Amino acid sequence: MAEFVQLLFNGLVTGSILAMAAVGVSLVYGVLKLVNFAAGDFMTLGAFIAVFFSVSKGWPLILSVLLAIIGICALGLALDMVLWKRLRENKAGTLAFFLVATGVALILRQAILMIFSSGSRKYAIDEIATFPLFGANIATAQLIVLLLASSSIITLGLFMAKTTIGKDMRAFSDNPSLAAVSGINVNRVVRYVWIINGVLSALAGIFQGMVQGRFDSTMGWTLLLPIFAAVVLGTIGDAYGALLGGMVLGLVMEMSTWSVLFGGIPSSYKPVVAFATLGLVLLVKPEGLLGVKARSI
Amino acid sequence: MTTPLFELKGVSAGYGDVQILNDVSIQVPANAIVTIVGPNGAGKSTILKAIYGIAKVSQGDITLHKLSGEAIDVRKTKPHNLADIGIAYVPQIENIFTTLTIDENLDVGYKGNGGVASEERKEKLYKQYPDLAIRKKDRAGTLSGGQRQMLALARALMSGPDILLLDEPSAGLAPALVDQLFDELVRINETGATILMVEQNARRALEISNYGYVLDMGKNRHEGEGKALAVDPEIVGIYFGKR
Repeated sequence: MAEFVQLLFNGLVTGSILAMAAVGVSLVYGVLKLVNFAAGDFMTLGAFIAVFFSVSKGWPLILSVLLAIIGICALGLALDMVLWKRLRENKAGTLAFFLVATGVALILRQAILMIFSSGSRKYAIDEIATFPLFGANIATAQLIVLLLASSSIITLGLFMAKTTIGKDMRAFSDNPSLAAVSGINVNRVVRYVWIINGVLSALAGIFQGMVQGRFDSTMGWTLLLPIFAAVVLGTIGDAYGALLGGMVLGLVMEMSTWSVLFGGIPSSYKPVVAFATLGLVLLVKPEGLLGVKARSI
Repeated sequence: MTTPLFELKGVSAGYGDVQILNDVSIQVPANAIVTIVGPNGAGKSTILKAIYGIAKVSQGDITLHKLSGEAIDVRKTKPHNLADIGIAYVPQIENIFTTLTIDENLDVGYKGNGGVASEERKEKLYKQYPDLAIRKKDRAGTLSGGQRQMLALARALMSGPDILLLDEPSAGLAPALVDQLFDELVRINETGATILMVEQNARRALEISNYGYVLDMGKNRHEGEGKALAVDPEIVGIYFGKR
């Protein structure tokens, strides 16, 4: 029981972090047709900026988190201005976007090393503190992250469902040409996508850093594959699908190590579990969890 | 002749170096249904694409004469602003947002034209389309073909347009639904909407049209009252196939 509660908790934490990052990737892909290979490094950079201000400079954590969010939003908007916008205007193909994004990812990772120097980082939180729950010992950091991440996800869900710009973004992601003739301002949507992606990436990176305890410049990179798997699992280009995909994968990955299930799969195989899940779901439902079968009219 | 609501005057347009439309003129009077018909490759759809700047217009004028007397140069208006000035477009395919709910599809279509509040306009449309009202919280992708077409029309009407542009509205619909669709277009027209449509189901479309244009090889070939064109033996023989 204790192990089950612990793993369930881990799964919820991992799931909500994956879900946040996956929504960012899904929106960026849906609206810009950009497979953002740098998504993981956006997360890492966010985590590093927050650590820099809160630990190295000794500023309050909340302020440091805000600065990290602003930094990642600005990075997204700036890259769009100098890079993606030009590629779009020159009608670059998906592969060109993908390769450029890979280049951006590599540059970002090295830039993080150059600016912040190598070595691992940690937030000034007590990583040993735990509290008991149904016989399990849950790390306080995990609880805090779970609370913050779930409130971020609820806020995000409400934003996407209720606000005009949220609906416009989902509409654009669903069908760009119809969105344009319906009078949705493309440039405005693009700006908001980078802002929301910035908020989500920075928070997901910071949360992951807090849960991990120590992290280095490869943190986001190692999460990239499960994030992409979550996007595909939940139906590509569907923001709610990405949320669901992230939660499902997080839970499945953590629960797979439960010793009751065949003695538990070794935890280093978690990414394999993620992709096995993806493969199985797609075999049964090729359009993804929330997808509707394309129908001929 | 009174000023038409919407007008193409001597429009030539095409893609890259290929010119498809050659000196085409179309006039759409207020509150009318006007249909453009013609054989495949005549340039029917290019007319709509020219209005939306997808096809490049090399010559001619496209003008919306608002009831207020204001004349708007459509060629100088950005495609995403056309809905704001009162032009609504229903594409032939992929004309709804399948991952959004029916209600959200209408929200996205809303523009403040005519100063009518979003909720008020939605309520009116739901009264008109009870099928959509029942399922307003469902994802639009779950609708049937006929319901999708109704939602596509409703989404366009949410903007409170002066003119509704329809690209082959009956394409792909089952025969029974085609009748239902054309009845619906008449009903929409009776509530005061002006309609310009491009249609391959020419006979049926012309029957409900006040006026029709026959396009051939990117040029105006014939024009006349809809009902007269629909039974004109020459045109029936050339373009629509004998029955």
